[in-house]
Amino acid sequence: MDLSTHDLGLDAARAVDPAGYALGGRTPRHAVRPASRDEVAQVLSAAARDRLVVVPWGGGVQLARAGAPARYDVALDLRALDRVVEYEPEDLTLTAECGIPIATLAATVAARGQELPLESPHPARATLGGVLAMNASGPRRRQLGGPRDRLLGARFVLGDGTLAHTGGKVVKNVAGHAVHRMLCGSRGTLAVLVEASLKLLPAPARRRALVFALPGWALADPARWAPIPRIEPAWLTVLGREHHGLVGGVPDTAAIAVVGLEDDGAWVDRQSAIVCDALGAPALTLEDADAIALRARVTDLPQALGPVCLRFASPHVTPAALAPVADQTWMASAVFHAPSGGLWLATGTGAAEAVAVLGAHGFTLIDASPADAAAPLVPEAAAVPELRARLRAALDPHGVLDRGTWSS
Amino acid sequence: MSFTASDLAELRALLGDDGVLATDAALFTYEADALTIERFRPDVVVLPRSTDEVAAIVRWANAHGVPVTPRGAGTGLAGGATPMQGGVVLSLNRMGQIVSVDPDRMFAWVQPGLVNLQLSQQLAPLGLYFAPDPASQQVSTVGGNVATNAGGPHCLKYGVTFNHILGAVVVLADGSAVRLGGEAPDAPNDDLLGVVCGSEGTLGIVTEICVRLMPKPAAVETMLFDFPSIVDACRTVSAVIAAGIVPAAMEIMDQHTTQLIEEWLHIGLPTDAAGVLLIEIDGPAESMRGQVDAVVAHAKAHGTGSIRIAKDAAERAAIWKGRKSAFGAYGRTQKGFYIMDGVVPRTRLAEALETIVGLADRAQLASGNVFHAGDGNLHPHILFDPDDPKAQADALEISHEILRMCIRMGGAISGEHGVGIEKRPMMSEMFAEADLATMERVRRAFDPACRLNPGKILPGGGGCGEGARSAREGIPARIGAMFPREDAEGPWI
Repeated sequence: MDLSTHDLGLDAARAVDPAGYALGGRTPRHAVRPASRDEVAQVLSAAARDRLVVVPWGGGVQLARAGAPARYDVALDLRALDRVVEYEPEDLTLTAECGIPIATLAATVAARGQELPLESPHPARATLGGVLAMNASGPRRRQLGGPRDRLLGARFVLGDGTLAHTGGKVVKNVAGHAVHRMLCGSRGTLAVLVEASLKLLPAPARRRALVFALPGWALADPARWAPIPRIEPAWLTVLGREHHGLVGGVPDTAAIAVVGLEDDGAWVDRQSAIVCDALGAPALTLEDADAIALRARVTDLPQALGPVCLRFASPHVTPAALAPVADQTWMASAVFHAPSGGLWLATGTGAAEAVAVLGAHGFTLIDASPADAAAPLVPEAAAVPELRARLRAALDPHGVLDRGTWSS
Repeated sequence: MSFTASDLAELRALLGDDGVLATDAALFTYEADALTIERFRPDVVVLPRSTDEVAAIVRWANAHGVPVTPRGAGTGLAGGATPMQGGVVLSLNRMGQIVSVDPDRMFAWVQPGLVNLQLSQQLAPLGLYFAPDPASQQVSTVGGNVATNAGGPHCLKYGVTFNHILGAVVVLADGSAVRLGGEAPDAPNDDLLGVVCGSEGTLGIVTEICVRLMPKPAAVETMLFDFPSIVDACRTVSAVIAAGIVPAAMEIMDQHTTQLIEEWLHIGLPTDAAGVLLIEIDGPAESMRGQVDAVVAHAKAHGTGSIRIAKDAAERAAIWKGRKSAFGAYGRTQKGFYIMDGVVPRTRLAEALETIVGLADRAQLASGNVFHAGDGNLHPHILFDPDDPKAQADALEISHEILRMCIRMGGAISGEHGVGIEKRPMMSEMFAEADLATMERVRRAFDPACRLNPGKILPGGGGCGEGARSAREGIPARIGAMFPREDAEGPWI
């Protein structure tokens, strides 16, 4: 039976072409782009009534790699919710609707000398809600914190259409249960985020990227890297040989390491000296806009890995953690954000083996695309999946929000 | 309900004789946390030594249908550790060890009963520290900090407890022990640790915590400014932030407060100024000069009278001692007072202060203000004669009005103390019914039988809020009423 926009409680003008929302080759029966949070609530309320399955959409950056849902009735496009609701630079906080691209937010706060503490591949497309729901991050994950660390409060719509709000817009707040934090990483399976308040940062006065071409032995020497975590670089990313072309004019070695320094000028100079003492002279030094441009290219990289992309988390903080696996062929594709221990790589058919090898060295698989490439993810004590299931039943009692897309 | 000899024998079999307290004197001690005006007697106090023992107690309580109220050091000011429905008080004080430290990767596993300051003291030789520093840090525990998502003066720059917790072992309401998060910053799926942190012991009992450690800043500068008007002090705070400087701490005390501290401790605080602003910056030595100059310039532009920059660690400690003794100084007045923990957006601080002073003046009551200005966290005190019922009633009404003002300004009714028992009625003013019902749904998913710290946070209306019935049926909320002795060692704000 055909589904109409009216069935979803919306005016016909909110309908959009379902062809643009295919997942794993499956097209939804209907696609809508509501213009307000109340309209989002209407859609979910109607879906709960009619037992429809809904997939929330932001910019589709992460969904591009998702599998096909078993059932796919409605694509819920949130990109018309794109207003900055409140921005008070002197409070260092911002409240915005969740369909706004993070590049727009970053430009808004940059105009006032501030920094958006969120990162994602393709920031011009990635939406605020998508970044939060997917727990997306980038090279500066340790310095900025993850999305959960920056989220002060949120409005969201539960699977039964209830519009709720927890937290607030002030930087300190322990009033009530922080349900908004639990939604970070929930991939739209618990609730649909419609508005969020963030804690911002002042923009650093100086940014520099030092690029080092590393032979294998240099990568593996813990003593070389030891001083670096204590000076807290903004980012330190190791790129496998495959990514050599990302930076021009650097000798072709086993890996490239980029140390990103973002702070006031005096400290950036001192940090540079400490880094060069430890690692030798850089092959390349990029300043300010050039350093930002390189960081943007590095941030996008994990999204370009294919066909099978694995994401690992680890407690490691320096590139020396890669020493035991440096000779593996898949390391040529690696993107390792050292301070936060996040590792991405492409494996082709060898995913299971890579997971096993890396698992022996402290790296835990936390995401894979396609989702069935390298199951299972981290095993959890039985009580945890049971708790997650109770939470889903509590917040989405009719199973409206699709789970299948993300299961592995 | 009271426990039988066989109940106690079962508990002793689980924990040993020294792990179970049931004498009148012991039960009296655990009737309340630092919100001593609300007292509820537990049936038993247990002192487990391990995650397994905590889990065994929770399973035992489930089997017997009795509530469990976890407790750290009991420094909470909102009644969060007060056993509203009796049952078991589960004290984590015997679980106070550092389990392991990884200095290279900068994290540590600790037990929840570890005192906050001891953690940083023990890490000092490694050049590392645990950033959250609630004013109670000499006594309060890391587990209690997690339960209230504690802040402290330095959370302006470094964030609150939640930002420094990587993972935890949590005993859930069914008595299973699970690990949420871990040593790595990221984990798959919804962030359960994110909602457990700050849940005041209602969603689980944290029995091991993986804390993120920070390198100790190489340099610190502590500055004290005085202002002819408190509004100018507040504007200086906004100007510093707007200039792109995030100090480690920015604290304001009003004249009422500085005079009381100075009469007592004689540490050289300016007493003739309407407001005193303490600004501390920290970080690499290379960055200090420029930031100090900029902060001083902003203070001058806003009319500061005197400028004092701590010459050494001793002077810095003296300045902070003044700030941290505010509560004790109020106690010396021999008056009762209500203390609040409201938050307003930083840019509305000056307006909030004027409103507070106006409310107190109209009722002819004295008020003191000491607050974490950098993050808009106010701790107004309304003083009253404890022998004058009308004055106390007026002070209570003003307390409620102040929290309503925080809500109207877009702030919060608690910045760091938590809701506990004390602020439940205000939750209905800050949140809509659907918001509270959503929190209740989450709480029920974690704890279907409402066994963990029942009666807290949510303002009644059935389910886990049932214990709050008394609050709805006419017992007035008593926002932070204190009748302190002259005692500089706490409570802390």
